[in-house]
Amino acid sequence: MHLSHSSILLKYFYKLSYFFLYMTESTTSQDIASLYRFMAQCMQYPDPEWMNEDFFNVFYNLLGTFGAITEGKEIRDAVEKSSDFIEDLQIEYTRLFINGVPHVVAPPFASVYMDKSIQGSFALRTLNFYREKGFTMEDNADLPDHLVHELEFLSLLAKEEDFAGEEEFLSKLFRPWYKQFCPRVAEETRHPYYRMVVTLIDSFTKEEEEDGFQLNEA
Amino acid sequence: MAFNLTRRKFLQTASLAAATIPLSKVVSAETGVAKASLEPKGTMGDTTVVGGLCEMCFWRCQLVGKVRDGQLMKLEGNPKSIDNGTAICARGNAGVKLLYDVDRLKYPLKNVGKRGEPKWKRISWKEALDECGSKLKAVVDQHGPQGICVFPHGASAKYPMHYFERTVGTHNVSEASFFQCRGIRDAAYVATIGKAPGEMVDMSNTKVIFLVGSHLGENIHVSHIKSYMKGLQGGAKLVVADPRYSASAAKSDIWVQIKPGTDTAYLLAIMNYLVQNNKYNKEFVTKHTSGFDKFSTAISEWTLDKAAKECDIPAAQIKEVAELLAANAPNVAIHPGRHVSWYGNDFQRERSLACLTALLGAYYVKGGWVPPKNPAKLGKTSWAPQEHGDEFNLNVINDKKVYPFKPPGTPTELIRDCAISGKPYAIKGCVVWGQNPMQTIPKQEKMKQVFNAMDFVMCVDVMPTDVTMWADILLPESSYLERHDEIKTGVGKVKATDKEPTQFIAPRMPLVAAMFERKDQVYITNEIAKRMGHEKEIPVQTLEELVDKTLASANITLASVKAEGGIHLQPGFSPYGVPEDFMVQLFNEDVAAAGFPGAPTYKAVEDVPAGYARLLYGRAPVHTFNRSQNNVWLNHEMPGNPVWLNDEVAAKLGLKDGDTVGFINSEGVKSRTTTTVKVTPGIRKDAVYMYHGYGSANPLMTAGVGKGVDDQSLITKIAIDPETGCHGMRNNFVKLTKDGKALDIPA
Ligand code: SF4
Repeated sequence: MHLSHSSILLKYFYKLSYFFLYMTESTTSQDIASLYRFMAQCMQYPDPEWMNEDFFNVFYNLLGTFGAITEGKEIRDAVEKSSDFIEDLQIEYTRLFINGVPHVVAPPFASVYMDKSIQGSFALRTLNFYREKGFTMEDNADLPDHLVHELEFLSLLAKEEDFAGEEEFLSKLFRPWYKQFCPRVAEETRHPYYRMVVTLIDSFTKEEEEDGFQLNEA
Repeated sequence: MAFNLTRRKFLQTASLAAATIPLSKVVSAETGVAKASLEPKGTMGDTTVVGGLCEMCFWRCQLVGKVRDGQLMKLEGNPKSIDNGTAICARGNAGVKLLYDVDRLKYPLKNVGKRGEPKWKRISWKEALDECGSKLKAVVDQHGPQGICVFPHGASAKYPMHYFERTVGTHNVSEASFFQCRGIRDAAYVATIGKAPGEMVDMSNTKVIFLVGSHLGENIHVSHIKSYMKGLQGGAKLVVADPRYSASAAKSDIWVQIKPGTDTAYLLAIMNYLVQNNKYNKEFVTKHTSGFDKFSTAISEWTLDKAAKECDIPAAQIKEVAELLAANAPNVAIHPGRHVSWYGNDFQRERSLACLTALLGAYYVKGGWVPPKNPAKLGKTSWAPQEHGDEFNLNVINDKKVYPFKPPGTPTELIRDCAISGKPYAIKGCVVWGQNPMQTIPKQEKMKQVFNAMDFVMCVDVMPTDVTMWADILLPESSYLERHDEIKTGVGKVKATDKEPTQFIAPRMPLVAAMFERKDQVYITNEIAKRMGHEKEIPVQTLEELVDKTLASANITLASVKAEGGIHLQPGFSPYGVPEDFMVQLFNEDVAAAGFPGAPTYKAVEDVPAGYARLLYGRAPVHTFNRSQNNVWLNHEMPGNPVWLNDEVAAKLGLKDGDTVGFINSEGVKSRTTTTVKVTPGIRKDAVYMYHGYGSANPLMTAGVGKGVDDQSLITKIAIDPETGCHGMRNNFVKLTKDGKALDIPA
């Protein structure tokens, strides 16, 4: 894509402000790391081991911080009204992300969107990015381009304060597929929890298009 | 949703830091991404992994995989192969897409909704196996082992099938490859020459290739097609009987546009002509056949004229075919076919083919039917065979066999009737392994009744095929590219100029590791067996051990074969020369004693009712039944199955090429979906044709669902071959529908 001078300037300006944001006392790179890590957790298969009262309390609290009061309440209602909310969420997770009727809605793998296949070349590029940054996949991990692992990786980068790496990963390997994935889930899910989680991740990784910053579409 | 923050606003949120503090307390300790302990690795180059064995169809071409970082990039024929060589077909290539199909089953699933309208929930293997084990055990405890029925298919289903048949002890096993496909052929040849014929016709060295219904070219199996092409290039004449201008008919020297269902009459007339005119191989008949007199008397009514009338073909053409065969005998390849469960009169047709081969002396000769000599002996490691008596064998009533010449297992209809009626006993547990009975067995409504009658249904598969919607527990299996398994043996030539053949043994080896939580058949079966109280009888602990034990009798191991490039080669023997004791029963006394015609006999099938056309189906070159319908490459190649319609009929109906139509059959069953019309002079007026394996009803198959029409859904009239109990599936009649209106097919 051809960038005009002004957009290059804007981009430069944006980077500075972005850097500045990390440096403010209120939001540290460690906070960013925790947020990514928490979002990764939210996208794991629901299990009472972690998806318990404590988890939801922390989740509602976080939503409150962002002013998502109505959404939080909607989720709380769905959870509290259900006779087995874990099973509800497991069924929904399976339908959305594993195998579902009318069809699997949104497999959480980058290459499904970029290569129309699981384990396409996009998955390999993702894995190579991890490697370049000195990371590797654990033996029992899912595929490298699984949403959970990408968020875990972003968390690790944030922890290391590798902002440039984080931005590059977001723009080249994360956003291009996530922006296709997110609306599919948000529109088709039958549970407010997943609508909120994918929106949260979206917001947290979305560039400031309205500020004039244009995505690097490499 | 009101919530619409951007990243920047997100990070500017004043109290974010406070909100993030408790986050770390509710996340689990492990992550899938971690700091690498070693120096970070760069991209690794491609490696070639040997030992692949294709199973996009049953032919099992030998493969190598180009693998990069554990990811399969491409499949190729194994250069060491003396069978398919470096060639594989379009389906073989597309195995990569099956491996990485988004819709593939990944984790054990439990249906918390209804059978047929599932609501899936991922569960752990432990929970899934506990459920399968306890539910199946409960069925056995309450109803006996016969209370379980099994519908297996494919290489991976053999081990569990043996478990349920031999160890648990149920007779109620129905394999589609037998009862809806080639079982009749095998049974008929066993009753004629004592063995199943395979597709062992020496086409590359023949003078005439004789096909009845086989549409080689649309039906592709690499080394088979190579030998067919080599034969044709060498000048072999091709005779094709088919109501349709198939790919083979298009290459043929004589196209016999036969009326569907009458093939046996055509074969009888050829044989009678050979006998009457002394054009058969007397030496062979004297030395290697029995019952010639009874046989020749029985078929003597089949004059050329009589057959011509019955088959709706010129008498002169039958004569021409008979003369051509006689002139080139014994070097003629009478192809036994493969999918032969057509009309419910198929055992006799297959017997006719075997007898015709004998009259021409075309066994064990160049260009004839030639099995390999002294093939490599492999072990038979599996669950130990046990005797279970015939008390609960549905095929035996008062010590008499219902279908005396059935292939192994129990005829499907006996199982279904028993399961639905509960008589003579209850069948309450169902295991479906790699088969898709919703699309392989006619009369889908009846199959649904079977599932609804069950206390428990489990399915094991790689894809969410139509039948999986009926499972209570659905288990994901590793595919043929991710596991050890099945051993392909055969013969070929290392160099084209070699005098003697070479034998090969190719065990399947994984090209990549299984992803997600897919498991192989030995693991799944053993775990269920443990839970059903059969731990002590488990024959092997792993699939690898099973293959190694099977190879041991050939004095090779998986490791040694791998070192040889994935295929073991050893000297073979010239296959020509009729064994002294080889006998062909032209008249079979056992068949006669069982109350069936001892000589090949033609039985007419029901005629097409006015206003209808006979529904014929066959293979698409890029698909393997319904198994490949969701494969995105193959789907892209042939996304639908246009219905072949005779051009004159089309003109009368006012249909044009490409028009969209649906179907209604003579029993009032409508197709769920529509397809387009292919207007052609290449099909008889009284028949329509479509490729099988389309129009999946399962929305989980995102590429295949609703594409084209599911021919099987229209096959609701069941014909049963009386000798074998196998299905005949081409006695169904359809009208086309346009804009909801049924169109009468003109006579
Ligand atoms: S013929 Fe094609 S699909 Fe069949 S085994 Fe060979 S490569 Fe595979």
